[in-house]
Amino acid sequence: MMIELKNITKIYEVNKNNIVTALDNINLEIREGELVVLKGASGSGKSTILSLIAALSKPTSGEIVVETSRVSKLSDNFASDFRRDNIGFVFQKYNLIPALSVKENIILPLVPLNLHVKEIEEKLIRVLKMFHIEHKENQLVKNLSGGEQQRVAIARANVNNPKIILADEPTANLDEKLSLSFIEILKELKAEGKTIVVATHDPLFFNLEIVDRVVEIHQGVLL
Amino acid sequence: MILTPEVLAILILNAIFALFGMVAFVLSVKIYLNWDINSTSTAQYRLEKQSSLAATIIKYIFSIKVPLFIFFIFTLDKISNVLTGAMCAAGVVDATEQGTYLIVLKIINLYLFALWLKLNAEDVKDRNQPHTKLKFGFFALIFFLFIVEVILEWVMFSAIEIDKMVSCCGSIYSSSANSGISSIFSLGTAALLALFYGNYLLIVLFYFLKKRYLFAVTNMLFVVIAIIALILFFGTYIYELPSHHCPFCFLQRDYYYIGYLIYGMLFVGTFYGLVVGFFKESILSYKISLLFNSLYVILLSLYVVVYYLKNGVLL
Repeated sequence: MMIELKNITKIYEVNKNNIVTALDNINLEIREGELVVLKGASGSGKSTILSLIAALSKPTSGEIVVETSRVSKLSDNFASDFRRDNIGFVFQKYNLIPALSVKENIILPLVPLNLHVKEIEEKLIRVLKMFHIEHKENQLVKNLSGGEQQRVAIARANVNNPKIILADEPTANLDEKLSLSFIEILKELKAEGKTIVVATHDPLFFNLEIVDRVVEIHQGVLL
Repeated sequence: MILTPEVLAILILNAIFALFGMVAFVLSVKIYLNWDINSTSTAQYRLEKQSSLAATIIKYIFSIKVPLFIFFIFTLDKISNVLTGAMCAAGVVDATEQGTYLIVLKIINLYLFALWLKLNAEDVKDRNQPHTKLKFGFFALIFFLFIVEVILEWVMFSAIEIDKMVSCCGSIYSSSANSGISSIFSLGTAALLALFYGNYLLIVLFYFLKKRYLFAVTNMLFVVIAIIALILFFGTYIYELPSHHCPFCFLQRDYYYIGYLIYGMLFVGTFYGLVVGFFKESILSYKISLLFNSLYVILLSLYVVVYYLKNGVLL
């Protein structure tokens, strides 16, 4: 799925005296199946780009087109549908629900789809196997290690088999070994033809073979 | 001024609605004048946020205003207990100069508000929001009627004097009444029934022919004809009294509140009939309209048939 950001500006107006320009008239094109790393310091605008692609927020001006869909023009209801059908989002802090089990967390995005139990089961088993967490299926996520929690978060992002994976600082809370393990997962996802955008300042990503492009961003401007 | 808990509730709600409606009105005018769904400018994105806010405000106001009509009628009926001479809501409506105008305006607004809700529902169903400009332009227009209704309601409740004698429905809805109502009594029963059933048959015909504009027009006519037929003819069979023509008494407990069902069916049937004229793909609206109009006709006709079977004569 091709992603296009056209003349995107995003301004956060905290109050009249505190206006932050997170993105300043940026243009970016991400081709289908590409793995792009957004590199930049904290506050540079990386996460804002991800949230705009995922239709979690709207730009101040400009347009985001995913395939043929003008996602920046979608109303809230249609934006939710778009996210559900096309986007898998891996958050820095995983955003899992601690009181739920691994299985329950993973199938959560499928609830609004009213799928048959058998179909849900099939999707669940696919991602449990893919990310090697079958044996943790019934454990509460609060009892898992950081690396395991991240695998659950990735499994949840993939359970609906989205075409786009967005990862925001995915290795920020992981040691080097677990970070390398995450990169292995990215390889598998890329091999499946998914379009992947990773926002990170972790140098581990910048010279990887699987990374097609590293896009540097500084104070809301692409370098 | 009469201030029962029901009247207070209506007036407070009206004040809240008018306040929020004003905000929505200002936003609606801005959106109507500047909306361009294809634009990716800052101004357009701001309008999109504002349209979401304005639509939510209007939706909530109208979603409450539509059923509030029933509460308004119920309130009038309740007030009639404290007005000397009034036997039902008709006496309260007739107690002030504004009463009749308010009822007519409320009926018109009922359809307009429901139509806006339908327009909004159609708009948000489509990702391109094709009716946004129209729905806010439409609101900007009906907002004035809404405000007139709020003012008239206030004026009417203010003008009611408890110690003043008012007319009862028996004298208001009679051929000898000194009002415009008496003029409808000049219609002959045969002509009236021909109009009533003829209009209904046309609705059925246009349903099968799927002529949406004609279907909508016949439904619009049916609102008026059905109410006149109810007052002049069918009402007498509900009351089983040849001289009683009140369109309000059967809203009371003595008649098992049947009036709410009768008017409800007429409103739903004719409203969806109008919807057919406004929105192209509305097979469901066609069906709902025909179903409720048919139920209305069948129910009223049954009163006549049952009376005849019980008594062997017609009134």
